[in-house]
Amino acid sequence: MKPKVAFFDFACCEGCQLQVANFGEELLDILEVVDVVNFREVMSENGEDYDIAIIEGSITNQHAVERIKKIREKAKIVIAYGACACTGGINAMKNNFEMPEIMHYVYKDDAKYFDTIPTKAVDQVVKVDYYVHGCPVYPKEFVDVLKCVLQGVEYKVPEKSVCTECKLNENECMFDKGLTCMGPITKAGCNSWCINNGNICFGCRGFVENPAKNAAIEVLKDHGLNPELIIKKINMYNTVLDEKLKKKGEE
Amino acid sequence: MNKKTIKHSSYTLKPAHIIETKYLTDDIKYFKLRFTDGTDLDYTPGQFVMVSMCGVGEVPISISSTPTRKGFFELVIRKAGKVTSDIHSLKTGDKIGIRGPMGRKIPLSTIEGKDLIFVAGGLGIVPLRSFIDFVLDNRRDFGKVEILLGCKTPEEILFKDEIKDWEETLNVEFNCTVDKADPKWKGNVGLITSLIPSIFVYPERTYAIVCGPPIMYKFVIKALLEKGIKEDHIILSLERHMKCGVGKCGHCQIGNYYCCQDGPVFFYHEIKNNWEAL
Amino acid sequence: MQRYYVLNKNKLINFLSFIQSRSKLAAPVKKGEKSYAFEYITDLEKIALHYLPTILPVKKYFLPQRETLIEFNKKTRKTTHVIEFEELTLFGVHTCDLVGMQCLNAVMVEDPKDINYLERKNKLTVIAFECNSYCDEHATCGIMRTFIPSSGYDILFTEFDTYFLIHIGTTKGSEIVNESRLFDVAQKEHFDELNKLRKRKEEIFKPEINASYDELKKLMERACCTGAWEGIFDKCLSCGTCTNVCPTCYCFDINDDIDLNLLNGCRMRTWDSCQNEGFAKVAGGENFREERKNRQVHRYMRKFKYPVDKYNMYFCTGCGRCSRACVAKISLKETMNLLSERIKL
Ligand SMILES: Cc1cc2nc3c(=O)[nH]c(=O)nc-3n(C[C@H](O)[C@H](O)[C@H](O)COP(=O)(O)OP(=O)(O)OC[C@H]3O[C@@H](n4cnc5c(N)ncnc54)[C@H](O)[C@@H]3O)c2cc1C
Ligand code: SF4
Ligand code: SF4
Ligand code: SF4
Ligand code: SF4
Ligand code: SF4
Ligand code: FES
Repeated sequence: MKPKVAFFDFACCEGCQLQVANFGEELLDILEVVDVVNFREVMSENGEDYDIAIIEGSITNQHAVERIKKIREKAKIVIAYGACACTGGINAMKNNFEMPEIMHYVYKDDAKYFDTIPTKAVDQVVKVDYYVHGCPVYPKEFVDVLKCVLQGVEYKVPEKSVCTECKLNENECMFDKGLTCMGPITKAGCNSWCINNGNICFGCRGFVENPAKNAAIEVLKDHGLNPELIIKKINMYNTVLDEKLKKKGEE
Repeated sequence: MNKKTIKHSSYTLKPAHIIETKYLTDDIKYFKLRFTDGTDLDYTPGQFVMVSMCGVGEVPISISSTPTRKGFFELVIRKAGKVTSDIHSLKTGDKIGIRGPMGRKIPLSTIEGKDLIFVAGGLGIVPLRSFIDFVLDNRRDFGKVEILLGCKTPEEILFKDEIKDWEETLNVEFNCTVDKADPKWKGNVGLITSLIPSIFVYPERTYAIVCGPPIMYKFVIKALLEKGIKEDHIILSLERHMKCGVGKCGHCQIGNYYCCQDGPVFFYHEIKNNWEAL
Repeated sequence: MQRYYVLNKNKLINFLSFIQSRSKLAAPVKKGEKSYAFEYITDLEKIALHYLPTILPVKKYFLPQRETLIEFNKKTRKTTHVIEFEELTLFGVHTCDLVGMQCLNAVMVEDPKDINYLERKNKLTVIAFECNSYCDEHATCGIMRTFIPSSGYDILFTEFDTYFLIHIGTTKGSEIVNESRLFDVAQKEHFDELNKLRKRKEEIFKPEINASYDELKKLMERACCTGAWEGIFDKCLSCGTCTNVCPTCYCFDINDDIDLNLLNGCRMRTWDSCQNEGFAKVAGGENFREERKNRQVHRYMRKFKYPVDKYNMYFCTGCGRCSRACVAKISLKETMNLLSERIKL
């Protein structure tokens, strides 16, 4: 029996779902081993029963909290899919502001009609079994995770930086081009996708385990970045991870 | 890129099948294995094998049986992560890939005729069992045998039946302590080091063989030295991250040693000045 | 065996075409303002004869970044050991990189031998290119004595105004030179020029570190567990770059891959780095090299201490790659000089 897979989206751009539709041939291989029963962007029919819930997006309001809890109850396996689900992603940048301030900024005077909470990664609300990091996700990694799901073993993101992959791919370093790059403190696993294609790493996969954050700030300063911009660059994908690290440090 | 295949290399797997398996505790499982081609594993106590789950990975596991008993070898595996969980799913009759034995073959003649103290912390009893059974199978060739075991809780004590046997029929002193007792526990409570001061030793003819969690070594060694046991009479089995098992991948390095080749069993004097050992 | 030849510069292109007719060719090409890489060459015009040490050393051909070791089938339970190799000629290998390959070799031929490496090595032809002056300020080939080529090549090119002086290192090199029919036998005047050049080089390449060659090991022994490293690695990000680009680093990881049907798969090895967080971590969470600084000290020990004890060789070729590529601008030369100031030998 093929396991039944359902995709659910929370606060996000749905770009990661689109990514699956872009898999091309690999998608056919995937559909041979799983049944997709609920997938808004690619299929229209809605299935009810599912074994594997793939969650896209972060949890940003009370309604979402209830919804994700229900999904967790029903699913045998929960996969956080994409940066928003894994680490809060860009959505979590709002946590760096006071809530009323951000509400006002977004909704102006209508703010009181919306219920919002600080952005949470899925695993801050329910247990997550697998993570597919990235904004958007790296297709090959999704396939790797799926293989682990099918084998019933855990998937481990390599405890390495994007630089390690970037060097293996022998790219010219962005720092040598006079640019800056988040590769040194970002979790590997995307095969340095962006740099291979001529872009810098934005750090979309989040910090490596135990990041040298202060050193990174110093290094970026040495390369001429102003401190405010550095903090912004780091916060872009790491707000929730930062919160978690702080908590761990306090323990 | 061209490709060719070869019969044998450091990475080729030798198939073995599981002839018996049972859970010792909730997350620790025992496996009795035999090579499919009927050959014996040619090993010395203290050595280990790489156990392969194709598609998932490979892990180093100590050989827990003694080479004096032929026709099989035994492994005891704790569910710790990806590969070990997958190994736990195996049943009697299943096949598995083995590489090894790996690691140094320590000359057992050095401990022959000597008094022995085995100091095991938790799962450390698994590799020590290989030494213990080896000694017991040649009981007359050794002096006094003392086993000290430290566990977190009484449930964690492995090989309870065998221990009884060792004590009753094989002239072995066995002492055990737990960190946390339960109502039924009548033995010692406290750290394993607390068992050492009260034992009686003739330092010049005593060897200690130690295996346990990393933090245990420093304290146990101190207590043993205080008993007068010589540095080159203390044998330690160390754990490190291992990938290749053949002294190449670098993961297991302890200063200038490769734990997988130069160890995992070391004499204390060899590593006491090594900045990464203890 | 005739050992010295001369190749007129305008015949270089013919020689390289000849090489291409025998095997695939890889040589340095420009990748960016200061970046070069060894790549497969089809268009000979792309070759950069004068180049800064490539991003990755030629070790990538001896011990590829990713390589299959075993293929298996879960159903038939058959596993086979595979070796991936190709006939390839490397042209333009700098002298420091020759030593890098010899270091790698020492490790891989040690029992148990690494068959994949050995088989692959035998299919590679190495044509070296001598540096007549420093590549840049990061190089320490002066103190490491790697600026004078001594061995490790099949053929060595030394550049002069209008010609290359060729030294034959192996019979394979000799065959290539003879078959190509492009070379003339070297004469006395050529040897005189070579001697002059080598003398001039002794003047150009000077110890970049304030210690003697023999003292480097002692420096490590004395510095190892002391405060001498204080502050040096404060900005280290543990990105792993310094090890990945190093010609003498060979640590690797082994991982499995399997197809989606969970039927056929392979076991691969991939370059790894002792700088990575997970490198020395074991299940249960204990990390035997938790402190970033200790990972760097370990790296230095692996260059200047352990291999000297084991193989009687320094595992640093002075190529400067680690310093050149470090985003935190941590320099090997400066580090060694600082240590030599802080430690009394
Ligand atoms: C010489 C030696 C003997 C051992 N003997 C036993 C034994 O008899 N019984 C037992 O239960 N365990 C033993 N271990 C520990 C066992 O190897 C680890 O628990 C196991 O590797 C964890 O792998 P995993 O994939 O389940 O965990 P993960 O955390 O998923 O590990 C991933 C990878 O990291 C490496 N790794 C992680 N932890 C360790 C570790 N502790 N030691 C070595 N490599 C590690 C392995 O290569 C593994 O594939 C021994 C370790 C060593 C070094
Ligand atoms: S480009 Fe970025 S990821 Fe690549 S090596 Fe440089 S810093 Fe690291
Ligand atoms: S290179 Fe950086 S930004 Fe690009 S996918 Fe990888 S982690 Fe994300
Ligand atoms: S390249 Fe620099 S920052 Fe990166 S690990 Fe090496 S020393 Fe540290
Ligand atoms: S340590 Fe640095 S200078 Fe020495 S060989 Fe390695 S990369 Fe080159
Ligand atoms: S380090 Fe020395 S030998 Fe190596 S490329 Fe630079 S100048 Fe040449
Ligand atoms: S496990 Fe690879 S070197 Fe020891």
